[in-house]
Amino acid sequence: MSKDVQLLIIDDDPDFVEGIQSILTKAGYAVDVAYNPKEGFKALKSKKYDLLLLDIMMGRGAEGVMVARKINKDPVLREIPVLIITGIREQMAFLFPGQPIHPRFLPTDELLEKPVEPDFLLEKVNHLLELAKEKKSN
Amino acid sequence: MESISTLTENPKILVIDDEEIVRESCLRILEKQDYQVRTAEDGIKGLEILQEYQPDLVLVDLKMPGMSGFEVLESIFTFDATIVTIVITGFATVDSAVEAMKKGTYDFIPKPFQPDELRLVIHRGLERRKLVLETIALRNEKEMLREHFAAIVSHELKSPLGAVQQNLYVLAEDLDQKLSESQKEKVQRLQKRIQDLIKLINTWLRVISVDIDNIQDQFQQISLNPIIEQAIEIIEPHTVRKDIKISLKVQDQISEIEGDEGTLTEAIVNLLTNAVKYSKIGGKIEISTQQNGDNVQISVSDDGVGIAEDNISFIFSDFYRGNNLPEGERSSGVGLSITKRIIEAHHGSIHVESELGKGSVFTINLPISEQK
Repeated sequence: MSKDVQLLIIDDDPDFVEGIQSILTKAGYAVDVAYNPKEGFKALKSKKYDLLLLDIMMGRGAEGVMVARKINKDPVLREIPVLIITGIREQMAFLFPGQPIHPRFLPTDELLEKPVEPDFLLEKVNHLLELAKEKKSN
Repeated sequence: MESISTLTENPKILVIDDEEIVRESCLRILEKQDYQVRTAEDGIKGLEILQEYQPDLVLVDLKMPGMSGFEVLESIFTFDATIVTIVITGFATVDSAVEAMKKGTYDFIPKPFQPDELRLVIHRGLERRKLVLETIALRNEKEMLREHFAAIVSHELKSPLGAVQQNLYVLAEDLDQKLSESQKEKVQRLQKRIQDLIKLINTWLRVISVDIDNIQDQFQQISLNPIIEQAIEIIEPHTVRKDIKISLKVQDQISEIEGDEGTLTEAIVNLLTNAVKYSKIGGKIEISTQQNGDNVQISVSDDGVGIAEDNISFIFSDFYRGNNLPEGERSSGVGLSITKRIIEAHHGSIHVESELGKGSVFTINLPISEQK
């Protein structure tokens, strides 16, 4: 079933991307990669994705947050489930001082820590896709 | 981030005095000196001006009709404690000037005063203001450096390790059928060592970057006994390895406390980890809870190697580690310092009693929550 499920990874670390991409490809997902937010948006606009895997610490800081916020403002893009994969949870605390440690950028997101074990990654991806499907059929 | 302000080129002074002649002479004397000066004839007007004018220094007459000088001073402290205040007082009321200074006023000037006297007092007051602002700016800068350092450590050290680990996961799966058992074991050891390293970096990052007091925003009513049981569960694999027995003695009817479950569990796990680490094989650890009046006490005792008297005062410092760590054990030197900070964020205290060769007892006291 995963054959025609299309995922997008936005992450600026090619080695890390390589790691999760091969896990996802092996599980049968079609995976595109963008190595910076700009490329990422170009991809998001050009094709329909079922899920986005988003890194937070990119470029000169937390550029992933900008991506998440921009997506949330777009009526079409905000329907895509977003799985955030980031370096460290605690780090979120000083990115968003005064806010809860696990800020909910988007209504459907999940937060995973790098590195992520293959089974756990697939479980989360699957779960988010299921949720999105349920939401659609309702 | 709060804005960092420094003293402007033309320091702003506010004079609050009901006597016109005092206000006028202040204006005349001070305006010659590149100061910006504004005046108010009573406390209410003065405080109004204060809000929008944001002065560096305020001269306040203690004896005014209406709002008293003391009330005005108090409102100024609440508004911005870095504003320097100086009271104007008659000779007869020097006592009240002293009283005001005890409460945080920087200086006083008795009236009538000579122009030079006023200039001197103002000059000193502004020096003080400059110092206070500089101290705040320095402290902010230090905070920023800490945060930047944390971000750099995180990105430059953790990211590569994360990428390595991610690819090891993939390799291990891809090669699952091809590797011999001993080769698989090597891959597992690689993964384990990298995982330890990542954990260590995370712990250090917490010490450097996280203001533990932030957890207070999430405090809830919690009971301690389940937390302790959970901590014991987490530590179990380590106790099995060293054949150590943990006995639990909890008082059943214990009041709830106000706190954060996650970090409190971490604090207790830290104490238990240390107890295991510094115990000999086959050692015994006891953890107990009991209520003493308004406090709940948690004690963790072991019969391990103990702490030398000279070292006791250092054990709660960042990156300090004991020098009698049993063979095969490792320490990052931050467990106890984090524990102490967690407990203090809960308005509690932690202390230790220990004897070299006999063991240690760590005791935490936490206030029970006020609501019954």
